[in-house]
Amino acid sequence: MFAISVMNGLVIGVIYALAALGVSLVVGIMNVVNFAHGELYILAGYFSYLFASALGLNFLVAMLLALALVFLLGIVIEYTLIRPTYGNDMYSLILTFILSIVLQNAYLLIFGPYPNKPPLWVKGATDVFGLFSYGNQRLAALIAGAGVIAVTFFLIKKTWFGRIIRATSQDREMAELNGVDTTRLNMLSFGLGCALAAAAGVILTPVFPVTPTAGVPVALTAFVVVVLGGMGSMWGCVVGGLLLGLVENLGAAFISTGYKNVFGFIILILVLLVRPSGLFGRTKI
Amino acid sequence: MTGKQLLWVGGLILAGMCLLPLGLDIYPQHVLIVSLFYVMMASSWNLLAGYTGQVSFGHAAMAGIGAYASGILAVKAGLNPWIGVGIGTVLAALLGLGLGALCLKMGGIYLSLTTLAFSQILHIIIVNQYDLTRGTMGLQVPGLVAEYSKLAYYYILLAAAVLVLFVLYRMLHSNLGLNFRAVQNDELAAKSIGVKVLQVRVLAFTVASAMAGFAGGLYGHYLLLITPEIPSLDLQFYVLAMTVIGGMGSFTGPIIGAFALNILAEKIRDYGEYHVLVFGLIALSAARFAPNGLLGVWRKLRRSTAHRTVN
Amino acid sequence: MSKVDFAVDPATIVGLIGPNGAGKTSLFNVVAGAFKPTSGKVVFDGQDITSLPANAVCRKGMARTFQVARPFGAMTCLENVMVAAVNRHPRKARPFIEGFAQEKLSLVGLADMASLEARHLNVVQKKRLEMARALATEPKLLMLDEVLGGLNTQEISLAVEFIRSLRDKLRLTVLWIEHVMGAIMQAAERVIVLDQGQVLMVASPNEVVHDPRVIQAYLGE
Repeated sequence: MFAISVMNGLVIGVIYALAALGVSLVVGIMNVVNFAHGELYILAGYFSYLFASALGLNFLVAMLLALALVFLLGIVIEYTLIRPTYGNDMYSLILTFILSIVLQNAYLLIFGPYPNKPPLWVKGATDVFGLFSYGNQRLAALIAGAGVIAVTFFLIKKTWFGRIIRATSQDREMAELNGVDTTRLNMLSFGLGCALAAAAGVILTPVFPVTPTAGVPVALTAFVVVVLGGMGSMWGCVVGGLLLGLVENLGAAFISTGYKNVFGFIILILVLLVRPSGLFGRTKI
Repeated sequence: MTGKQLLWVGGLILAGMCLLPLGLDIYPQHVLIVSLFYVMMASSWNLLAGYTGQVSFGHAAMAGIGAYASGILAVKAGLNPWIGVGIGTVLAALLGLGLGALCLKMGGIYLSLTTLAFSQILHIIIVNQYDLTRGTMGLQVPGLVAEYSKLAYYYILLAAAVLVLFVLYRMLHSNLGLNFRAVQNDELAAKSIGVKVLQVRVLAFTVASAMAGFAGGLYGHYLLLITPEIPSLDLQFYVLAMTVIGGMGSFTGPIIGAFALNILAEKIRDYGEYHVLVFGLIALSAARFAPNGLLGVWRKLRRSTAHRTVN
Repeated sequence: MSKVDFAVDPATIVGLIGPNGAGKTSLFNVVAGAFKPTSGKVVFDGQDITSLPANAVCRKGMARTFQVARPFGAMTCLENVMVAAVNRHPRKARPFIEGFAQEKLSLVGLADMASLEARHLNVVQKKRLEMARALATEPKLLMLDEVLGGLNTQEISLAVEFIRSLRDKLRLTVLWIEHVMGAIMQAAERVIVLDQGQVLMVASPNEVVHDPRVIQAYLGE
C-alpha cells in the first residue's frame, strides 16, 4: 500500500513538476500567472485523443502534433491577450482567469462532458523490484516526464536560448540594454510554458482521462508547487512537485481521500506565511 | 452630478425598483432577486479589486461562509434565520479580517493565490463534512419569512442591496475612499504622504467580506437550499465577470454588470446552457479592449460629444 | 552606502549632490523609511525614526518627492492633494480639506487644473503636483529629488525662488537632490557631496564647487 502510494506520488509528482516548470517560466520572464495553464494541459490531451482516435494517427505523432498546436496557441494568446497588459499584474490575472473559464466551457461545448482517453502507449503491468505490480503506462509516464524535465533543464541551463531566458528573468532592463528582443522573448517563453503544460498533458492523459474541467486542479497544483519550490527556481519545481505528489498520495492513502487536495493548499498558505521565497527561491520576484 | 440630483435620480430608481416586480411573473421576479444578490457581491468585490487593487478569488467563499453558517445554525440549533444571517456576516467579517491580515505583506499575485487556496480549502471542507453540510446534496434551510412569497424576498433583498450600496457609497466618498483610491493608484506614493496602506487594505477586505457573507446568508435562505455552488469558483467567476464588464473601479459599474448579465443569461438559456461561455467571451473582450467596462464605454461616448480643451 | 554621517539644521536649504549612482536617492529612501539601513540611525527632531515605515515618517513631519513623479493618475489634481490633506487633518470637514488642498495647488500654480485627472498633466506639472501634495502634509523637512529636470532657465529661477520662499515663509527645511548645479549654488546654504555611497564633504556651495575631490568625482562618471 505504502509502496504503491509512493509510486503514484512520484508519477503525479513528475507531472506536477512539469506543469510547474511551465508556470515558473512564464512568471519568471513576464511576471504573469497563467490561470489557463490547466486548460492548455487538457487541450493537449484532447488533441492527442482526437488525432490518435478520430484521425487514426500513430500515438506518438498525435502527441507531438498536439504539443506543437498548443505551443502555437500559446503564442497567439500571448500576442492577443497578454501582451497589452504587460506591467499590469492585476489585468493579466483577471484575463487568464476568464480565459480559463472560457476554455473550460468551450471544451464542454465541443467535446462534451464525458471523459475521453488518448490511447495507451504500452499495456500491461510490470513487477517493480519484485514487490508489487504497477501499470506500465504509469511507469512510461514517469520516465517520459522525467525525460522532458531533463530536456527542459538542458535547454535552460546549457543552451544559448536558455541563457537569454535566465538573464532576462533576472534583470529585464540589463537584458534589453544588451540587445535582447524582450517582446519576442515573452512570446516564445509563453509558448514554451504552454508547451510544457501540453507535454504534461500528453504524458498523463492516457492514465487520467480528459474532461473539460480536469485541468483546474492541475493548474492550481502547479501554482502551489511554484510557490513551494520558490519562484524562479527550476529545481524548486522538481523538488516541490515530487514532494507534493508524495504528500498528496500518502495523505490520501493514510489520512483521507476526500481531503487529498487540501494538503496542497494548506502547504501553499503555510509557505507564504513562513517562507514566501519557497524552498529554493530568490527573495525578490 | 450634484448631490441633490443624485438623490432625486436614486430615489426615482428606487421607486421604480419597488414597483417593478408587481407586474411580473414568478420567474422574472426570481431573476431580479438573483440579480440583487449579485449586485451586492459584485459591488463588494469591486471594493477589493476595483478600489484597492486586491484581486481576491475568495469572495464567493465568503458568501458561502454566510450561507452555511446561517443555514447550519438554523438546521442544527433551530436559530432564527435572521439572527443566523447576522452571525454569518460577522463570521465572514472576521475571516476577511484574518485573511486580509494574512495577505498583508504579499504582493498582488500572492494575495490572489492565497485567496484562491482559501476558497478551495473551504469548498473541500464543505463537500466532505457531510454530516454538517450534506455535501453536494445541499442543505435544506428554512426561509426568512413564514409564508413563502417571492415578493417578500424581493423586497428583503432590495433593502439589503440598498443598504450595502449605501454603506459603500458613504465609504467611497469619505476620507477612507480617497485613501482607497490613492493606494490603488500608487501604493508607494500613498505611503509617502502618510496613508496607512496596510490598515486601508485590511479594512477593505473586512468590509467586503462582511458584505459577501451578508449577501450569501440572505441568498441561502431565499433559495431554501444551500449547496457548494455558492462557495465555488464558478460563482466567483460570475462576480468577477459582472464587475469587469460593468466597469471595475466605478460605483455603478458592478450594478449594471450584475443586472445586465443576469438578464442576458436568461435570454441565452432559451438556446441552451451557453451563458457562461458568452459571459466569458464578453468579459474577455471587456478586460482586453474596454477595461472600464460598459460604464467606461458610455463615459467615453459622452466625452467625445462634449468637446474639451486642455492647456 | 557606507559611512554616511551628516546633520541638517532647521530652516535651511541643503543641497545633496553627487555623480550618478552615488546613492542620493537611496539615501532619501533610507531617511524617508522606504528602506531599512543595515546599521546606523536616522534622527529627526530629536527622535529616532530609523525603524518607522514611510507613512509614519511622513506623519512625523518629513515629506518627499520622487525623482520620477508619481501622481495618482486616475484622480484629479485636487483629489491628489486632498489625500495628503485628509491624512494630515483626519477630523476636519470636507469643505476645509478642499479649501486646504486648493490653496496648496494655487501655491504651485496649478489652481486651474484642480479638476483635471493627474494622468493628463505634462512632466513639469506632475512635479508641481507632487510638490503641492508634499506641502499638504505640512512637513518640517521637505526632501526634493531632482525637481528641476526638464525646466527651462526661466522656470528654474522661478522654482528656486519658490523653494527659497518656502524656507523663508514656512520655516521649512529643505534637503535637495539636484543635478542642475547653478540652482544649488544659488539656493543652498550648505552642500553635501555624495560619491560611491560615502559622504565626500559637507561645506558651503563655494567651497564644494572648487574642491578638487568633487571635481574628480564628477569627472570620473
